[in-house]
Amino acid sequence: MTQHDNLKILITPIGSIPGHQLEAIAAAVKDHFTIKTAIENSLQDIEFAFDTERSQYHSTSILEALQELVPDNTLKVIALVEVDLFIPILTHVYGEAQLGGKACIVSTHRLKENLKSVSIEPDLTQRLIKEAFHELGHTFGLLHCKDPTCIMHYCRSIRDVDRKSKNFCRYCDIMLQDALKKELKT
Amino acid sequence: MLKTKILIVDDELIMRESLGGWLERDGHEIKKASGGEEALEIMKKTRFDVLLVDIKMEGMSGLELLKIVKERDPDVDVVMITAFGSISTSIEAMKNGAFDYLLKPFDPNELGVLIEKIVENKAQALENLYLREQHKEITRFESMIGQSKAIRTIFEMIQDIAPMESTVLLTGETGTGKGLAAKAIHTHSARNQGPFMSINCGAIPEHLMESELFGYQKGAFTDAKENKKGRLELAHGGTLFLDEIGEIGMRMQIDLLRVLEDRVFYRVGGTQPIQSDFRVIAATNRNIDEAIKNGSFREDLFYRLNVISLEIPPLRERKDDVPLLAEQFLFRFTQETNKAIEKIHRDTIDEMMMYEWPGNVRELENAIERAVVVCKGQIIMPEDLPIFKHKTTPGPGIGSLKDMEKNHILNILAENDWNIALCARILQIDRSTLYKKIKAYDLKKED
Ligand SMILES: [Zn+2]
Ligand SMILES: [Zn+2]
Repeated sequence: MTQHDNLKILITPIGSIPGHQLEAIAAAVKDHFTIKTAIENSLQDIEFAFDTERSQYHSTSILEALQELVPDNTLKVIALVEVDLFIPILTHVYGEAQLGGKACIVSTHRLKENLKSVSIEPDLTQRLIKEAFHELGHTFGLLHCKDPTCIMHYCRSIRDVDRKSKNFCRYCDIMLQDALKKELKT
Repeated sequence: MLKTKILIVDDELIMRESLGGWLERDGHEIKKASGGEEALEIMKKTRFDVLLVDIKMEGMSGLELLKIVKERDPDVDVVMITAFGSISTSIEAMKNGAFDYLLKPFDPNELGVLIEKIVENKAQALENLYLREQHKEITRFESMIGQSKAIRTIFEMIQDIAPMESTVLLTGETGTGKGLAAKAIHTHSARNQGPFMSINCGAIPEHLMESELFGYQKGAFTDAKENKKGRLELAHGGTLFLDEIGEIGMRMQIDLLRVLEDRVFYRVGGTQPIQSDFRVIAATNRNIDEAIKNGSFREDLFYRLNVISLEIPPLRERKDDVPLLAEQFLFRFTQETNKAIEKIHRDTIDEMMMYEWPGNVRELENAIERAVVVCKGQIIMPEDLPIFKHKTTPGPGIGSLKDMEKNHILNILAENDWNIALCARILQIDRSTLYKKIKAYDLKKED
C-alpha cells in the first residue's frame, strides 16, 4: 500500500444535508478525482461566520476554520451548507474555495432556485455535484475556463449551471491530472 | 503572457482580499493597494489594464486617484467601487473618464460581465496591434556572419545539428540572431527544399495563435469563411520555427505538447486528423527554468523542445565580429540609400569595440543604419553613431535612481533611433510602459 492510498477527500455536511445527496456527491467525486472519499462531520458550529447586518454567512472565515480542523490524511475537504454565503464585496456566492489550498464550500441555498417542487431532489443533486467539482477544481489550482461546457466555467446563473456538463474540458483535465500527481507525490 | 492585470485599490483589507480572491479564480493577475498613494507607487513599476478603485478612502480619494491615473495613462480602464449613497460621486467619476462603477456589495454577475467587457476590449486592441505590426515584422540581417571564436563554434554546432531531425531549443538575448540560427539549421538540413515556417509566439495574441498554428475549418467561427491551413500544416516537409516560445499560454502549451508527441493535430472546428512532417526549432530569451519553477511553463513541453540546446552568444562576447558586421551593414545601407559613404573611421570602430551592445547585433544594425542617414561626409565618424551622443559625463542632479532611469532610457532610445519596440525589448519593459516613461520624463527625440 502506497502512502497516498490513505489520502482522501472529506465531504462534510454542516446542517441537515440529506444523506443520499452526500452519498451521490461522494461517489461522483471518487469517480472523477480517483481519490477515496469519506463523509464525516467536522466543523458544526458556524455562527462565528454569521453577519447580522447581512443575515448571511461569510464563507472565507468558514474555510479558514475548516482548514484548521482537517486531519492529516485529508487531501481536500468540501463542506456543504444550506445557509446563504457571501464574501464582503459580493452580494452572495454559490461557494468558495481556497485556490490551490485545502478547503472549499458549496451552499445549496441558491441552487434550489427555479426548481419545480415536484422534481427538486434529482436536479439539486446534479447541481450540487457540479458545484462541488468546480470548487474542488479550484483547490487543485484550476482557474475559470472559457469553455462553457467545462465544469470550471464560471456560471452566471442556475441555468448556466444546468447547461454545463459535469466534465472537465481537455485542458482543465490535464491540469487537474498534473496537480493530482504533484499533490500525491508530496 | 497576456493575462489581464488588475489593480485593486481599497483601504479596507477585507474588501481587497475578497475581491482579489474572486478575480484570481478568473485567471487575472491581481495586485492590491491600500490607498491612492500606494497605487501610484505600484503603477510606476507595472502597467495595469484595469483599476478597481474604492471611491471613499482615507487620504487620497478614489476620485483624485482616477484623475491622476487618467491623466498619466488614458488607456487604463478605471472602475469605481461605491457604497450606497454616493451615486452622485460615481456620476462625477464617469464624467472624469471612469469606465463604469459598481455599487458594493455587488452582484457577482455584474462584476463578471464588466470584467469580461474590459477583457474583450483589450483583446480586440491587441489583435489590431498585432495585425498592424505583422506587416512590419522583417528580419533585416539575412545571414549570420562573423569570424570570432564564439561564432565559429556556433557555426560548427549548427553544421552538426542541422542533419539531425531532433528538436532544437535556441537560447540567447534579444537581437543575437536566434532566428538566423534557426534559418541556418534549416538551410543545412535535408529539409532545405521544404518550407521554413516561422511564428513569433510573443507577438501574437493568444486567441489568434490557435488558428494561426492549426488553421481552421470553414464555419469554425464567424470569420472563418474559408478553410485555412495553419502554419503546422504549411510547414510540412520543412521546419517550424517557434520564436519566443516562453511567452505562450497554458492551453497552447498543452496543445503543442500533444502535437509534438503525436505529430497529429486538428484544424479549429475540424474533425479530420492532419499529419504534418516538420522539424521544430524553438527559441527563447526568457529564463525557462524560472518559468518552470513557478508553474507558468510545462516541464514536459520543455523536455520535448530541449532535445538539443544551443546558446547564441551576446555581441559583447564576440566583439571581434563588430567591425565585420558593421562593414556588412554599411554596405547594405549605402546601397539602399544610394549614399557614397566609403568606410567607417578607425576611431568609430574603436568606440564600437568599447561599447557593450545590450541590444546585440540588431542594435548594431540600427546604429549603422542611422549613421548612414546622418553622415555628412564619406566616412562614418564616431559622432554619427547614436550610441556615443549621450555618453556624456553625469550632469548636476544625477544621483537619484530616477535620474539614472531617465538617462538610461534616453540613451537606449537614442542608440536605437527611437525604435520603441526594440528599446522596450532591450529595457525589458512593455511598449506602453516605455511610452509612459517617455511622457513622464518628457523625453524628446533629438535631431
Ligand atoms: Zn469558480
Ligand atoms: Zn476547462
